[in-house]
Amino acid sequence: MIELEVKNLNKRFGGLHVLKDVSFGIKGAELIGLIGPNGAGKTTLTNILDGAIKPNSGTVYLNGQRIDQLPPFEVAKVGLGRTFQVTRSFRRMTVLENLYVPALAKHVAADKTEVTNKALEVLDFLTMRHLRNEYAQALSGGQQKLLELGRLLMLDPDIIILDEPFAGVHPTLMEIIYEYIRKVNEEGKAIVLISHQMDSIFSLCKRLLVLNYGDLIADGAPEDVKNDPVVVDAYLGKDDDENSDTTNNEKQNSA
Amino acid sequence: MEYSAIFWWTTLWLLFWGVVGSIFTRRVYLRKDLDTSNSILVGSMVGAAFGPVGLVPLWLKTPEISRKLILIPAFVSVGIMMIAFALADPQNNCVSNGSFVASQITNGLIIGIIYGLMALGLTLIFSILGIVSFSHGEFYMIGGMLVYYSTVVWFPGLHPVIGVLIACLLTFMLGAVFERLFLTPLYDGRIDRPVEYGILITFGLAFTLQYFVQAVGGANPVKAKRFFDFPRIRLPDKADPWLIKTSRGNMELFDTISISNPRFVASVISIMVLLGLLYFLYRTWTGKALRAVSQDRDAATIAGINPHHMNMLAFAMGGMIAALSGATLVQAFSWLPQVGMIPAMRSFVIVVLGGLGSLPGAFIGGIIIGLVEAAGTGCVPDPQKASSYIPAYGMIVLTLTLLLRPTGLLGRRFASGTHGKL
Amino acid sequence: MNRQQTLWLISILIIVFFMTFPFLYGRRDYDYIMHVLITGFFYAILASSWSMLSGYAGQFSFGHMAFMGLGAYGTALFSHYFYLSPVPTNLCTEFEIGDQYFIIKDAIGVTSSTLDQDCLTKALAIWDGSVQITPMPIWIGILLGSMLGGIFGLLIGMLVLRLRAAYLALFTLGFSEILRATISAEIKITRGQAGIELPYLFENGITVFGHEFSKTDKIPPYYVMFFLLLACMAVLAWLAKSRFGLFVRALREDEDAAAALGVNTVRFKIMVFVITSTMAALAGAVQAHYVGIITPNNLMILQMSLVVAMAVIGGLENFAAAAIGAIIIQFLLELLRESFVIGGVEVDMTLWRLVFFGALLMITLRFYRNGLITPIIEFFTRAHVASETVEKRMDPKTEDVEEEGITG
Ligand SMILES: Nc1ncnc2c1ncn2[C@@H]1O[C@H](COP(=O)(O)OP(=O)(O)OP(=O)(O)O)[C@@H](O)[C@H]1O
Ligand SMILES: [Mg+2]
Repeated sequence: MIELEVKNLNKRFGGLHVLKDVSFGIKGAELIGLIGPNGAGKTTLTNILDGAIKPNSGTVYLNGQRIDQLPPFEVAKVGLGRTFQVTRSFRRMTVLENLYVPALAKHVAADKTEVTNKALEVLDFLTMRHLRNEYAQALSGGQQKLLELGRLLMLDPDIIILDEPFAGVHPTLMEIIYEYIRKVNEEGKAIVLISHQMDSIFSLCKRLLVLNYGDLIADGAPEDVKNDPVVVDAYLGKDDDENSDTTNNEKQNSA
Repeated sequence: MEYSAIFWWTTLWLLFWGVVGSIFTRRVYLRKDLDTSNSILVGSMVGAAFGPVGLVPLWLKTPEISRKLILIPAFVSVGIMMIAFALADPQNNCVSNGSFVASQITNGLIIGIIYGLMALGLTLIFSILGIVSFSHGEFYMIGGMLVYYSTVVWFPGLHPVIGVLIACLLTFMLGAVFERLFLTPLYDGRIDRPVEYGILITFGLAFTLQYFVQAVGGANPVKAKRFFDFPRIRLPDKADPWLIKTSRGNMELFDTISISNPRFVASVISIMVLLGLLYFLYRTWTGKALRAVSQDRDAATIAGINPHHMNMLAFAMGGMIAALSGATLVQAFSWLPQVGMIPAMRSFVIVVLGGLGSLPGAFIGGIIIGLVEAAGTGCVPDPQKASSYIPAYGMIVLTLTLLLRPTGLLGRRFASGTHGKL
Repeated sequence: MNRQQTLWLISILIIVFFMTFPFLYGRRDYDYIMHVLITGFFYAILASSWSMLSGYAGQFSFGHMAFMGLGAYGTALFSHYFYLSPVPTNLCTEFEIGDQYFIIKDAIGVTSSTLDQDCLTKALAIWDGSVQITPMPIWIGILLGSMLGGIFGLLIGMLVLRLRAAYLALFTLGFSEILRATISAEIKITRGQAGIELPYLFENGITVFGHEFSKTDKIPPYYVMFFLLLACMAVLAWLAKSRFGLFVRALREDEDAAAALGVNTVRFKIMVFVITSTMAALAGAVQAHYVGIITPNNLMILQMSLVVAMAVIGGLENFAAAAIGAIIIQFLLELLRESFVIGGVEVDMTLWRLVFFGALLMITLRFYRNGLITPIIEFFTRAHVASETVEKRMDPKTEDVEEEGITG
């Protein structure tokens, strides 16, 4: 049973209080959306969960193990994987090598044929098998995003945090990523999806967290959150202007 | 001899509590949910200065970190080290001889200005192009060589100041051509690891230049004549404890401080160049454009500044500034094709100490390093060893900076070495 | 025969060529050519291990020659100061070990007069040939020298963990300058610029297959250095193929991403420092025993520049290319040594060749970023990739399953 327990996280950068007493929990294979305006602290929260930065106070438990003071590579082994807001493939390594890294890092005695077969399976799923020996730098931006998702499959974590996977992505590719999210979720992994695209969030997620400049102002089913006056005030805006919101953000993300 | 034990034990004591302070202060601040930036620095300084007596109250009260909290313990620890040194070696020149100390400090300041100028060139290149030039020392060397060749070999009798101008012009052109030929691929994202490319390509340039000069000019040391002679002055005229007295190659102040002419002239030229540079950077359009590019490349481009021109200008000017320091110092030191190595290292140290990319930082760093080296060469007992270890003094400063305050004294935007990760 | 096999064949041919070379070559400049080759192998070890450090792991260290020097000075000091003697000298610091005395010579620097001689020389003069002292076996010195390099590699690796690119380069450059300054300044111990003399690799000669070689013969050191190179290449090849190579390349590309995927970046960074600096120290120790003397000038930044240039021109991101580049360049540098006269002006090629060489380094970097040898190797190893990609794009349904080569 997957269980993430975040308690009273605080993070300051100098005078800037980026996360204020953030607490929430994840139980089982949930599919959760994390939204908030630019600079709300979503990426910072991801970085803390992942161990890349340490919180000033608060605790994080994953499956009963405390992870907030662990280095990232330990956290990855305990079972939390994440993607980066800006794509970070290993550019001068081949696609297959990109996939080997997490598999071999997690399992010390991994069998090479097994790993290779699994990698090829993952590539099939991402429709990228023919690119397996290309250097990652030769891939398009979208393909590199897929590759990053593929690496997570190879890591095989319990919880996956996707930091804006839809930024700068064409609708066809978006379909693949949708399918990826659904499939991985059905396989029993919890997913936290960070995005500024409300329609994707609302169509995929069954639970929504809203972060507003460090405060976790809402946590619940999408419909409830949508109508929550606090959220409407702080974030979603008065009217039904979701669409304009989306396009704005898309611009920012692709920049 | 048994006194020197005092010094080493004091050093060990300071080191130990400095390490303890740096490790635990950060933890204490973290646990109390306080701002931890600079806590390592404060911890190590307080630990070194006051030992447990200082650390315990610091950990109990965890005051907000201020400049005062860093500077006072820093000065106290330097003071303790000085006292320990004086006790350990009371016969040493820099303990017993007041006028030697005064001279040493003055000369440290003067040479520090020149160091600062040279480091300024390096930091200018970094702030615009984002690379550290490993050929900075060779520009310095070539500057000196050009002055020597133009005033002694090619046009004997040419006034040295014209030689300096020639050196500036030629090195500026060299820098510009090199930038056009070899650094342009940096700008369009065609290179995977631009920082490493910058290191290697400037390293290659350094190698080539050094052997080019050696192949053309040979490996014998050369030295240019003094640029100017001091006028003979003695003030007040006949009184015995004079205030100022000069001979052609030397100046003495207050009967105690002695400054050699070449260094004095070099530092005066450096100050003038510095003022000119400041005027250029803050008052002219091109200078403002340069600073704009260093602060925000994209915004500057939108404002109509061509960043490629600024790259060329910055690299050429950075090289020229190094060459200028060499050109003014060739009258003070003897010159070899390998002479650039130590000044280059020193510039790196200064730039890291001052904060990579910070212009005022480079200047302050230069003066600090000038003083540190003056202390090192003046006070280490065995003079032959003292001068061999010159690069080591700077390296100690560099190591301490990287460990305690990687952003350097004034660097904020560039968290050094970690690209903002600290 | 596919290209992969061709590559294997070529490699084997190259190895066989170097194995048999000492017997095939018979010209008058035999000793000289052999010396060039031995030095070439030495640089090949340095260049290939540096390529592992900087090309694979992305740690641009300019301290590689300093590690080489640590190995060389480690073994030099060891063989210079430590001896075994059956009788106590009563002059030196000495300990009784079994029936022998372990003697530590006192450090007196360069002897200028017959009066200030080290304690052992005095004792020998007193004994007047009646006592036979034994120098330490050189392999212990070589081992200790390599370990010294490894230990410093560990320390430097830990110190520079948080530094990236430019800072790392600055710091290591500073480290190597300080080491050189220290060795030059501590004349009492290291004899400063005069350098320390070392026993030859086979000080008492060696007999192989009934053939006797004297201590200055080139064949034994040739094979020692060549096998050392082969061993280093084997280790590097194994590392590059294994998860170690995969992980250090990943951390070169993106440290944070590698850590997020479970790679212990700290450990692998330190490991790559330790391994490559041990290799450099080992090569330095053996080379010092071959040449018979080590001076601080061997640590000069020029030497480091040579290694950097060899690795870059060969191909930074392929250790084999770096090694081949090193041997070829070492040869070229020697060929270009001849000075000549044009129009009454003597061109001193000992210097100009370095100028050309520097220019070649810059041009390679600028226009052939993968070096000059790597593309040739990749021609054989990656030939199928491009065609494959295009083919599959045309017809994405054809699939062939083939074993991909990695070892766990
Ligand atoms: N390393 C850092 N040092 C200082 N401030 C930081 C650092 N990282 C983030 N911040 C600040 O913390 C705040 C939150 O940043 P964060 O990246 O978490 O926002 P976000 O919610 O991911 O925004 P976006 O939607 O734009 O990605 C911002 O104001 C940012 O400037
Ligand atoms: Mg973000």
